[in-house]
Amino acid sequence: MNLVTKVALLALLSTLWGCTNNLHVKGELPSPLISPIEQSMGVLYDDEFRHYVYTEQSEDRGKWIIDNGDAQVQLFEQVMPKLFKHVEVITELPSAELPATTDLVIHPKVTDFQYSVPRETKFKIFEVWIKYNLTVYDAHGQLIADWIATAYGKTPTAFMQSNEEAMNAAIIVALRDLGANLSIGALRVPEIKAWLDKLPAQPSSSAAPANQQARAED
Amino acid sequence: MPSHLIRLSIILFMLQGCTSVTIDEYHANEDVGITHDERVVVLGRRHSSDYETEPDLVSCIGGVLADQNDVIEVIPERQFVDALYPWFEPRTAPMRVKDMNRLLSREDIAKTINSYNIRYIIWVDGNTETTSSSGSIGCSIGAGGAGCFGFGTWDKESDYEASVWDYQELENLGQISADASGTSYMPAIVVPIPIIAQVQKNACKAMGLQLRNFLNPQAAVVN
Repeated sequence: MNLVTKVALLALLSTLWGCTNNLHVKGELPSPLISPIEQSMGVLYDDEFRHYVYTEQSEDRGKWIIDNGDAQVQLFEQVMPKLFKHVEVITELPSAELPATTDLVIHPKVTDFQYSVPRETKFKIFEVWIKYNLTVYDAHGQLIADWIATAYGKTPTAFMQSNEEAMNAAIIVALRDLGANLSIGALRVPEIKAWLDKLPAQPSSSAAPANQQARAED
Repeated sequence: MPSHLIRLSIILFMLQGCTSVTIDEYHANEDVGITHDERVVVLGRRHSSDYETEPDLVSCIGGVLADQNDVIEVIPERQFVDALYPWFEPRTAPMRVKDMNRLLSREDIAKTINSYNIRYIIWVDGNTETTSSSGSIGCSIGAGGAGCFGFGTWDKESDYEASVWDYQELENLGQISADASGTSYMPAIVVPIPIIAQVQKNACKAMGLQLRNFLNPQAAVVN
């Protein structure tokens, strides 16, 4: 293969690679300013969640491969320890035979991922919607709540910002939105609230944070 | 290229499209002032589904507010919003000044805001958009060289409103709105020459200066 052929092949490959938007979502997510619930929580991140990759299948849209696994795990790792008094990462769901050492267990799953780009909407905004199914169990594996939490983020196309950077920013905004939803919304899920209400009253300030959080949000 | 063509290109490059800015100010309370130890935070509204108040516009207004005076100190938006996460996110941010009472009923939120010694919270809502465009520019490349020919033009409009909340008194002190519009041109005779109207930048400058006078009227009189 002579030099001209090599250069031409390299140029062709780089053009084809350029048609695909590859994104590994990265960003800083703040810790929430909330009061923890007295109970302990086990979090099960399965492989699908940890290594979640969205690949655009439609022939009519630009090719996007979005790796959001690390970022969404990072979000849960930021929020959960602030939301519950004690948090453990677990590797399997509890059962009557093998109960969890925590009061509750949460198993997050991504059920839908959608996006729009400026070329499709005519607005100079990248938008992202992510739907999560957060299944909450008690220590013996009994289902307590099947909580559907949504995350929405958008960002303007800034001058000289690449499509990948803009999409990354939109996903980080969506994850912040999910964090807000988890931080404030957990105590408003009727099944979780009912389960917490059934527990014997805790001495000291255990009830105060829940009440305060609900009041600030109402 | 002859030297006079190069000079002409440089002059055209330095030209900027014209922008007109209209500022409106409404004072709900004439008693406005700020002291050396008090601070201001400028925040963007992000709750609308079809536009987003640009973070760079918010940061630009903060820069103009803090510029050329030693009284107004501005807390960066990101720093403030991160410290109070998740209470100033698009879905949770207070929409009216009386909503602050709900937030401040939480001791940790009140403590965090107080740690910044905030006197005024300024909410900026709006965006800049391209309203129309016309013309076309064609470029070609050949053995003898490359070049462009044509003419393009586009209009941009900015529409922003800033609401000033007095955090200490928990009241709305007033609103300032800035409407700006301008037309940019791009003639291309071999080389495209952009003549850009800095619509958003001019809206930012005008609003920042008006806010500075609004918050610190004594300094405006001295200047």
